[in-house]
Amino acid sequence: MKTIRVKKGYNLKIVGSPSAASQMTERPARVAMLPEHIPFVKPRLKVAKGDRVALGSPLFEDKRNPEIHFLSPGGGQVIDICFGPRRVIQEIVIELDDTEKVIEFEHYSQADIDKMSREQLVQALVSGGLWPLVKALPFRDYARPEVVPPALFVRLDSLEPFHPSPQVYLPGNEALFQFGIQVLKKLVETPVYVYRCLPDIDLPSAFEDLINLTYTGNYPAHDPGALLYRMKSSPAENRAWFIDGQDVLSIARLLKNGVYPTERVVSLGGSGAPQAKHCITRMGAPLSFIAAEQTDTENWRFIQGGILTGYNAAPQSYLGYFETALNLLPKGDHKGELLGLFSPGYRKPTFSRAFLSAINRDELEMNCNMHGGERACIACGYCAQVCPVDILPQFTYKAILAGEVEESLEHGLLDCVECALCSYVCPSKIELFETLKKAKAEFYKEQVNR
Amino acid sequence: MNRIEKFFESTRRHFEKGGKLEKLWPFYESIETVFFAPARVSLVAPNVRDNLDVKRYMMLVIVALMPHYAFGVYNVGYQSHLASGLSTDFWPVIWTGLKVVVPMVVVVYAFGFAWETLFASVRKHELSEGVLVTCALLPLTLPPTIPLWQAALGISFGIVIGKEIFGGTGRNFLNPALTGRAFLYFAYPAQNSGDAIWTVLSGGRAAPVDAFTGATPLSIAAVTGPSGNVQSALSDAGYSTAKLFFGLYPGSIGGTSALLAMVGATFLIILGIANFRIILGCILGLLGTGLLLNLVAAEGSSPYLALNPLDHLIIGGSMFAFAYMATDPVSAAHMQGARWVFGFGIGALTVLIRVFNPAFPEGVGLAVLFMNLFAPLLDHIEIKYKLRRRIPNV
Repeated sequence: MKTIRVKKGYNLKIVGSPSAASQMTERPARVAMLPEHIPFVKPRLKVAKGDRVALGSPLFEDKRNPEIHFLSPGGGQVIDICFGPRRVIQEIVIELDDTEKVIEFEHYSQADIDKMSREQLVQALVSGGLWPLVKALPFRDYARPEVVPPALFVRLDSLEPFHPSPQVYLPGNEALFQFGIQVLKKLVETPVYVYRCLPDIDLPSAFEDLINLTYTGNYPAHDPGALLYRMKSSPAENRAWFIDGQDVLSIARLLKNGVYPTERVVSLGGSGAPQAKHCITRMGAPLSFIAAEQTDTENWRFIQGGILTGYNAAPQSYLGYFETALNLLPKGDHKGELLGLFSPGYRKPTFSRAFLSAINRDELEMNCNMHGGERACIACGYCAQVCPVDILPQFTYKAILAGEVEESLEHGLLDCVECALCSYVCPSKIELFETLKKAKAEFYKEQVNR
Repeated sequence: MNRIEKFFESTRRHFEKGGKLEKLWPFYESIETVFFAPARVSLVAPNVRDNLDVKRYMMLVIVALMPHYAFGVYNVGYQSHLASGLSTDFWPVIWTGLKVVVPMVVVVYAFGFAWETLFASVRKHELSEGVLVTCALLPLTLPPTIPLWQAALGISFGIVIGKEIFGGTGRNFLNPALTGRAFLYFAYPAQNSGDAIWTVLSGGRAAPVDAFTGATPLSIAAVTGPSGNVQSALSDAGYSTAKLFFGLYPGSIGGTSALLAMVGATFLIILGIANFRIILGCILGLLGTGLLLNLVAAEGSSPYLALNPLDHLIIGGSMFAFAYMATDPVSAAHMQGARWVFGFGIGALTVLIRVFNPAFPEGVGLAVLFMNLFAPLLDHIEIKYKLRRRIPNV
């Protein structure tokens, strides 16, 4: 088996890792869809406030590709559609009926899959609303069905704090996962890499047979982009596809059962979670259901997704389409302690060696404070030291701000795996990650419109 | 809420928008954030941020400079008492040293802060901490006899011309402290060159006692005649290797101690603030060039060529400049490979200027400024080389 070593990167030493315990949450009264947080998609609503919907009936389609639509994660009534600034659709809230109406899709056996053509398979996934789970590098938009990618990466685990562990969501689903991988192999007709980190995690042997790639290294070594950067030998491989392990299960459930699958294993982590654990819940569930034990919504930031790349969500919001992690961190919106600048900082986490915490092996508490004011770049070079794909963020961001698109591309802008470490380490508190990510997205939008 | 916090809470409104001292907000903010880190939270990903900020970064450099100040105060007083025939007891010596150093530091910081506040307030950004380091560095490079108005002029030139007109800290391509130092050297040679400027005379004396020679090791090495021997000329003047290494001889305030500079360099390298590539590059460049000159030294050539390369390292301010001036991250080369070349160039030029240019006894300041100019070119070459090896992704 091939092992890829991803250099550089950095692992945060942070408290609040979810335990392997998993708990079924209650059935929520409402679920929602959050179009705002599906990157690049331009939603066109197919429902209005007051409409009745079934589990699996379309809520909106993507204006860019009208055949791609997103389905309702529950059956009931659309009770609210929230708009944000510039009429961006933030939430489509559905009040669930006691017995939900369910749209039935066709279901397939392994033999059916073998007989199907690739186009039929694509069509089954597109009409089942799960095609967007397959994403394409380097922009991380959902894949274009008509393209055959150079490879497909199936990511089982994540090094980012904190995401669901495959030890929780995989066991018991051996047959389903195998079925899902067969479907993906049929879909891409090129190498399918099922990968996990090298220090062995305990998985049932049925999965070990499917895994054909391992990696070592710091965060974000788990990212398909970081692996691809170390593996590729030609520019032709840049447009590989990737999918998360849990999403493979969803695809398998859809095709096998003919019902839009809503089950999600969500990790609840961070120092704000009284019990950091896994929750078995459904797509679009209210965050307050997942973090039921944390009733204090004033002092904690609810982060959907990982601590580094996730976004700040309102505590009364819902689980996003792609999201499988909820992390609660202290807001940190208070001033530092008196003369904290001069403290040795044994418990102040840092990438540098400027605090004594550099020799502290404990997991430390972290909050959302910036820990400093904004300054011009002082060329300390930490961002380049930490970048897993050898971008020189301190130069690339200057090229971007100067409008030098070509130069930033030459610097490897599109190799950026969006790990956000450059912004994390920056002592001048420059939003490097945001700048690079936006530039990448702008370039993509321009390319598509051409 | 303790008293200090209360003081800031009650004072802040005068500096905030609409307050009487609104224009001085950057100055106020820079003081408050020394006591309490700001309450700013992250608005975009990543949600968490590193504890290191520029304030801490610069503060650690100042911590590394503190021993130089302690040593500088003692050395200025000690040399002054020696030259004036006074007792060299510890406390009187310290007192004399303080009388020279403290006013200079106060003046330099006052002018440095005034300029920085002016530019920050016009540009409406926070005050950058680079000025703290610049103001701490400049006095250490000055002769103790320099008039205070020249010190004020020097820091003004360093901050304004060396930094602010290019956009402030982070956008300057020259080391601001050295820019100010070089300006003083060229603008006021009378007060900035010669042997007499390195010792303050106390007790109302107009000339040093007969036994005292104010000649610095660099000037002794430079004026040794064609038939002489630099090594013996230095030891005849009382400059043993140990004395040169510890730095207890007339020179700039606090810049003469190679020992302390090495300790400071080690401290900054361990904490990851100074880049070891630059410092090692400097040392290698200096030793290598010194050795090369030793090899080419022939009968009849200047005896300076034959000076032991290790002596080059410990005399004058070379080690001080390597540790604190060359490692200024903004004006140095930014790429790891380029940093070696950048450092090597500084070391080599230091020796060449010292040995071959009789007008400049000390060459390290100019060597650093000269290599500052080349740093962007070195970076450009390394970046181009690195980018060529990437597999393109467009």
